[in-house]
Amino acid sequence: MIWSWIPGNGAMIWHLIWENAYLGVVPALIGLAISLPLGIAAARWRWFYPPVLTAVNVIYGIPGLALFIALIPALGLTDTNVIVALTLFSLCVIVPNVVGGLRAVPEPVRQAATAMGYGAVRRLVQVELPLAIPVIIAGLRVAVVSSISLASVGQLIGVSSLGYLFIDGLQRDFPTEIYVGLAAIILLALACDLVLVGIRRALTPWLRGQRQATRSVLVRALAPAGRP
Amino acid sequence: MITFQHVTKRYPDGTVAVDALDLEVPTGKTMVLVGPSGCGKTTTLRMINRLVEPTEGRILLGGQDVQQVNPAQLRRRIGYVIQQTGLFPHRTVEDNIATVPLLNGWRRAKARARARDLLSLVGLDPALARRYPHQLSGGQQQRVGVARALAADPPVLLMDEPFSAVDPLVRSTLQDELVRLQTELRKTVVLVTHDIEEAIKVGDLVALYRPEGRLAQVDSPQRLLGAPADSYVSDFVGFDRGIRRLSFFRATGLNLRTEPIAGQDSTAAEALGAARRSGEQWILVTGQDRKPRGWVPAGRLESLPGDTPLGGVPADGFGHTFTVDADSLRAALDAAVLSPAGHAVGVDGDGRVVGMLSYDELRAAIQAADSAATADGSGWEPSAPQPEPERAAQ
Repeated sequence: MIWSWIPGNGAMIWHLIWENAYLGVVPALIGLAISLPLGIAAARWRWFYPPVLTAVNVIYGIPGLALFIALIPALGLTDTNVIVALTLFSLCVIVPNVVGGLRAVPEPVRQAATAMGYGAVRRLVQVELPLAIPVIIAGLRVAVVSSISLASVGQLIGVSSLGYLFIDGLQRDFPTEIYVGLAAIILLALACDLVLVGIRRALTPWLRGQRQATRSVLVRALAPAGRP
Repeated sequence: MITFQHVTKRYPDGTVAVDALDLEVPTGKTMVLVGPSGCGKTTTLRMINRLVEPTEGRILLGGQDVQQVNPAQLRRRIGYVIQQTGLFPHRTVEDNIATVPLLNGWRRAKARARARDLLSLVGLDPALARRYPHQLSGGQQQRVGVARALAADPPVLLMDEPFSAVDPLVRSTLQDELVRLQTELRKTVVLVTHDIEEAIKVGDLVALYRPEGRLAQVDSPQRLLGAPADSYVSDFVGFDRGIRRLSFFRATGLNLRTEPIAGQDSTAAEALGAARRSGEQWILVTGQDRKPRGWVPAGRLESLPGDTPLGGVPADGFGHTFTVDADSLRAALDAAVLSPAGHAVGVDGDGRVVGMLSYDELRAAIQAADSAATADGSGWEPSAPQPEPERAAQ
């Protein structure tokens, strides 16, 4: 470990962190935007959920690198390629959480809302989605963290990220660079996760003081990072 | 007024939940639907606000067929309270209560002001307004549920087992509160319960269901207890319906005796004199505040010096008292049964002794109340007592 390498390359490391953050956060947000309508439909029409779930699981089964390569003919060696691939992966963790969050709304609450005179759409927006927020954000946290780690694999098709430090460090036989890349990815994932926890807390004031699952999902989320 | 005209609910699998129901709920009255589980009482309730649609028949609300009204609009005119409260966990108490006013387009400040008024109406501290439902006790949550149902001042209130999930003490308080609220608000209330006691306590009218979605009897609670239509009804209302019916007779009219009652500062001789004058074996001893302290048998005083103050003589407990202005003959009878002297002690609102009467005097008063009720037609058929062989065998 050569500490002096870090300040000498600070600007580059910082730049790679931002690129990696972009490649991690954008797919998770697009994934959320796609998952909400899919999940709402799947929660409403039960028959719709099994095919959706199968589809997103099959996509998740594709190795990350293989999907990047498969998208090259259509999207080339671009950021878009990585973003599309990671968006598809994120669906697998967000869609089930949207469905689960909506299904977990207590039946008496749903029934009371209907009986108060809520229409279906208003009930969804004002009652069901707010109550599903904690579960949906839990899915989003996994999606963001896993996208951040998978984005580094995009380096293999030439899309710049913290993955550069791994490949460069390996080629130059310079472990310091690899360790710095690893630490930067973990810290970036942790930072994004904390932001999401903060957003969840701000959006769900009623849960304050209630016992809640605050255990970080980082441990779970970093598991898929190991695959090619 | 809510009118059911030949309403049937048949599910696709052939199950009939409600069978050709004809029922009228008069405006401003509390109609309790009671019966065993699965008898169709909840289905009946939920057809009023179209949470369930009838297969046949019509339901009129103030003369208008509910099928002709947009469900969301209809429901905002009908308060709804359920057992699990169904409060919105993500909204504060005041915003929960303000739900329907906000749906009706009120400004938030006005809706919240209304919510705070309602908190007081249902007996909750307005300081609870900013809490979330999970921070309240079960009984408080249920009160918020009632406040929410009343927020838009709907003419009709539907309550589905509203008090079943709270403990018996809280349930009893909430039932009392409902009766109090009703004397103030005069809503048309339909309340579903499986608890016949609750039905008798809160209902102006009780509709008792048979298991298969048909009505067994619709009547005032007094008549349900006094003149059950058949053995199903008399079984359902229970073996002690004779005693329970006494709840409907006020204790106010009882002739109470004031002898032998002696303050704790009186002497044994004075107390014995009072006992002899009234021919009683037990003397009620009261404290300085005229609250009852206990019963002393005359025999216990005879062996004592005549100037012994009563306060120094050990007294037996008096069970409990009944409040003359507030309680019923049932409470008076219970007080007599539990008293070692066989006398019921009547007290005023502050717990001070008004007087007492014996078991026998109470029995005469009950019979008089019975014949009075029969004469003015408000209850109790002068028919022979209903035989209850099944219960008697137990």
